[in-house]
Amino acid sequence: MNFPILSLMTFIPLLGMVVILFTKEGQDKLVRYLAAFFTFIPLVLSFILLSRYQGSTSQIQFVEKFDWIPSLGITYFMGADGLSVPMLFLTALLGFLSVIYSFGDIKEKVKQYFAFLLLLEVGMMGVFSALDFFLFYIFWEIVLVPMYFLIGIWGHGRKEYSAIKFFLYTLFGSLFMLIGILALYFNVEPHTLNIMVLIEKTPLLTRSFQLLTFAAFFVAFAVKVPIFPFHTWLPDAHVDAPTAVSVILAGILLKMGTYGFLRISYPMFPQGAMYFAIPIAILALINIVYGALVCMAQKDLKKMIAYSSVSHMGYCMLGIAAVTVTGISGCVFQMVSHGLITGALFLLVGVLYERAHTREIGAFGGLWIKLPVYSGLMILFCLGSLGLPGMSGFISEFMVFIGSYPAFKVIVPLAVIGVVITAAYFLRMIQAMFLGTFNTKWEGLSEISAREIFTVVPLAILMIGIGVFPSPLANMIKATVENIVHLAVR
Amino acid sequence: MEILIFSIVALIAVICSVQVIISRNPVNSALFLIATMVSLAILFILLNAPFLATIQIIVYAGAIMVLFLFVIMLLNLRRDEFGPERRRAQRFFAILFSFLLLIGITTVLTVGTFNSNQVESGWSKTIPAGVEPLAQLLFTKYLFPFELASVLLLVAIVGAVVMAKRRL
Amino acid sequence: MDWIIPAVNLKLILPEIVVCLFAILILVTDPFLSKERKIWSAHLSWIAVVIAFIANIRLWNLQEATFTNMFLVDNYATFFKFIFLAGSFLIILISMSYLKREEILHGEYFSLILFSTLGMMLLASGFDLVVIFLGLEIMSVSLYVLAGFKRSDLASNEASLKYFLMGAFATGFLLYGIVMIYGSVGSTNLGQIINHITSNDAGSNLLIWAGAGLLLVGFGFKIASVPFHMWVPDVYQGAPTPITAFISAGPKAAGFAALLRVFLFSFTTIKMDWTMIVWIMAALTMSVGNIVALAQSDIKRMLAYSSIAHAGYVLVALVAGGETGVSSALFYLLAYTFMNIGAFTVVIALGRKGQDNTKLEDYSGLGSRSPILAILMTIFLFSLAGFPPTAGFMAKFYVFGSAVKSGFTGLVIIGVLNSLISVYYYLRIVVLMFMQAPVTRTDNERIKVAFCAILVLIISTWAVLQMGIFPQSLLSLAQASVSSIF
Repeated sequence: MNFPILSLMTFIPLLGMVVILFTKEGQDKLVRYLAAFFTFIPLVLSFILLSRYQGSTSQIQFVEKFDWIPSLGITYFMGADGLSVPMLFLTALLGFLSVIYSFGDIKEKVKQYFAFLLLLEVGMMGVFSALDFFLFYIFWEIVLVPMYFLIGIWGHGRKEYSAIKFFLYTLFGSLFMLIGILALYFNVEPHTLNIMVLIEKTPLLTRSFQLLTFAAFFVAFAVKVPIFPFHTWLPDAHVDAPTAVSVILAGILLKMGTYGFLRISYPMFPQGAMYFAIPIAILALINIVYGALVCMAQKDLKKMIAYSSVSHMGYCMLGIAAVTVTGISGCVFQMVSHGLITGALFLLVGVLYERAHTREIGAFGGLWIKLPVYSGLMILFCLGSLGLPGMSGFISEFMVFIGSYPAFKVIVPLAVIGVVITAAYFLRMIQAMFLGTFNTKWEGLSEISAREIFTVVPLAILMIGIGVFPSPLANMIKATVENIVHLAVR
Repeated sequence: MEILIFSIVALIAVICSVQVIISRNPVNSALFLIATMVSLAILFILLNAPFLATIQIIVYAGAIMVLFLFVIMLLNLRRDEFGPERRRAQRFFAILFSFLLLIGITTVLTVGTFNSNQVESGWSKTIPAGVEPLAQLLFTKYLFPFELASVLLLVAIVGAVVMAKRRL
Repeated sequence: MDWIIPAVNLKLILPEIVVCLFAILILVTDPFLSKERKIWSAHLSWIAVVIAFIANIRLWNLQEATFTNMFLVDNYATFFKFIFLAGSFLIILISMSYLKREEILHGEYFSLILFSTLGMMLLASGFDLVVIFLGLEIMSVSLYVLAGFKRSDLASNEASLKYFLMGAFATGFLLYGIVMIYGSVGSTNLGQIINHITSNDAGSNLLIWAGAGLLLVGFGFKIASVPFHMWVPDVYQGAPTPITAFISAGPKAAGFAALLRVFLFSFTTIKMDWTMIVWIMAALTMSVGNIVALAQSDIKRMLAYSSIAHAGYVLVALVAGGETGVSSALFYLLAYTFMNIGAFTVVIALGRKGQDNTKLEDYSGLGSRSPILAILMTIFLFSLAGFPPTAGFMAKFYVFGSAVKSGFTGLVIIGVLNSLISVYYYLRIVVLMFMQAPVTRTDNERIKVAFCAILVLIISTWAVLQMGIFPQSLLSLAQASVSSIF
């Protein structure tokens, strides 16, 4: 038996959660360090994962497989391929960084907060490494619970409303996934929930069944991505969540949706992928343009970034819908890059909010003079987000457009408008906040602290690293993406 | 003939049981219940089950209903709770029917002759549902339900005590 | 005249005998106990349940009928008896402190619980409609009294009376149905009914139809399915809380035990014909239960409606039928017993003498007042909502799976949407517990939980998680239970 690296990555945070729950009340400092420790181990493991991963093949690696509930044919099946490894790394990284960020951010009910944060990491790791539908579904649902509490207890504004809205929307989707899973289970002989086996068998099923099941899964993943018109939970949840949770929400949770499309929907239901290509592309277009337009109208910085996620995830969907190697590679790039950039942006918004207690774009001005380091970082990530060449966002958007243009010759040029609007709203924001005359009201604002810099710098390095030198990531995902495309055009 | 009797008796049973529910006077209700029980007994006779019919009358129309009436009396209901009375005609019919009953019974006693042998042999041999077959069924095939019924009665008694006793 | 004494195998009814004997024993010894020693009746009763449980284990994998085929021991019945006995055991434990607190600690209470358990066991084992009827009555009569056990409390009296009237009504329907079936088949034995239905063209026999319909109505009352659910909220709210928990766990499962046995065994050949009706019943039960639960402001009432909804989920399993359907129903009822009793235990723990604290506002800020209770309550509520990795999820997964397997995807979609609705009202309590400050009340004192209640909480939490994370052993038990029926 090989080293169970995926299980360790998934369940070490759970162990951490238990340990934290058993600490005495009031030992906040200990709890913080414990949380950092138990998220640091998965991060280390994720580096091992990266180094051990064989990018030359689309085979599932690091496999762990045991019987779990044999009478229902359910196995404990974990494994990773070129799609999940980058996501696992991103999860470990953002998980660790958000814990570090939360050191200063969270002052109440510290113990419970970190316990939930660790549980959240368990769920996310599990989603990206589970290859048995039952297991996948359980992790998928587990994510909801801590997220619900994290928003509902430690959030701001209408936190309870946002929390329950998030919960119900996502649950609505995932219950359709449950029906899809059950339908698959009983329509394949012998009954199995093994995703890899199902991928081989489902294309043999009837067309109408494929379309229906694709639709069921579509609802589940579309809510998560989120695709218009299922997106309305996102601004509420993002804005009202505490900073670190927004980071995870934007950085990882949204990717669970696109991951689901790439892992399940497209390889499993080629018929559905073909049939729904145009509608999905149109929805993606709406996401891109509508999301960007709404951003233009935002006065709240955090809300603007939240809507920018809607827009950016649209690129992912566009890349997926085209089912070309370049398009899907672009999507994976966008998943990673959006995780890094938007994660960092939310962290930086949190930094400012903690000091100024407002997020209104118009309330600031000329911050560059007072906070040069902060402003520099913020502008750097904004430029990354709007797709400046040399950074990861550019690579991914470029690949998405190139990859999907052959398939959608009308939609893609329209989608490029989105890039222009994105540039517009980010530049407008930069101008309003950092340039111009300094608003003396913010004289007392202190510069970003070393700990906070520590949380965003790795993200900046990766963002620029991928932007300048994309081939390691490209090599890692190449075989897997080719395999997905191969499966999806059966 | 059988159908005719059945229809009439069944109709009486149904009407009387409806009356049990809708009459405002509890004593009337109880009396209508007795009428229902009696018509059920007649139905048993039609089904060749005279023993059951007898039991029906003795236990239900007799013992249980008397108990009911006692309870109603013990409740000390005020006069207006009994609802309006229709006295005159009622009294007349009451006297008339009890007189008719008296005549009937005297006639039966004087004219009819008892022959216990004849009765027993006639019932137990030709009619399947006399005392013996019933007892046999009760203690063989239906032994288990029979015992269960005793448990049920015990539970009912315990329940009645629990609900009604002032101090447990 | 030759008397054929039927073969009697007392070993088969040993669990029933134990329960019944101890019930009587309690009645006999209770008057001799001084007021301080009344608790011994409680101890006797749980001992009885444990002994019966052990006796029941010895009956596993046995398939034998006795008492002229009226009483059948098979794995199906044995499994159900495990559910009943486990439920009764937990209820007895949580009752002790509750009765002490309310100062109504009387031996009759425990005796009646045992009698009621006896009735349930008969329902599961009855292979003759007469036995099923008697079992139902023994169970119900005990429950009528138990519901009114707080005799000085008007709500409790009302609950008892309503339960009694509605129950009597249901009994009438059931009896009428039995009569109709007897009229057309000439026997009340389930085995002979199925023979008759299979050999004759039963589809055209109106009497059987009417009988089956009336049986469905009668059982429908007992399992609290729409449209026969009207009694549920008031009874649940008014009855002493442990009894509410009891009614929602055991008797419901017992009703299903008989319902599944009669409909999926005796009426299985005409399944296609009654499935549509049950389909509608299931859909209505789930929807009405969940939607009305949304509007409740009292937790007992809310759990009452949620219990209606859960009956709907089990009806889905009945619609699905077949081996998977039945075993999923068994698993569901087992899971429901634990999670529901767990939730009610927390409800009881929050009460004070004469003051039940069952308003939803009473739960606000529980997370800071008593974090452990709040966490456990959250686990139970998540399980009731069917959220992984808890028993409730596994059970729902199994039930919906069996329905999809049988091709009732439409019903599963309704069920799934209903779970979504249910999440809203379960989560509302979680929101209150963790996200809102306590309403300023005198309740700043620590909540003391009796030892027995702690034990119940531990057992139910363990069961809920065990069935959610490692369900294999209990699943295979449930699957082994149904093979005997088919």
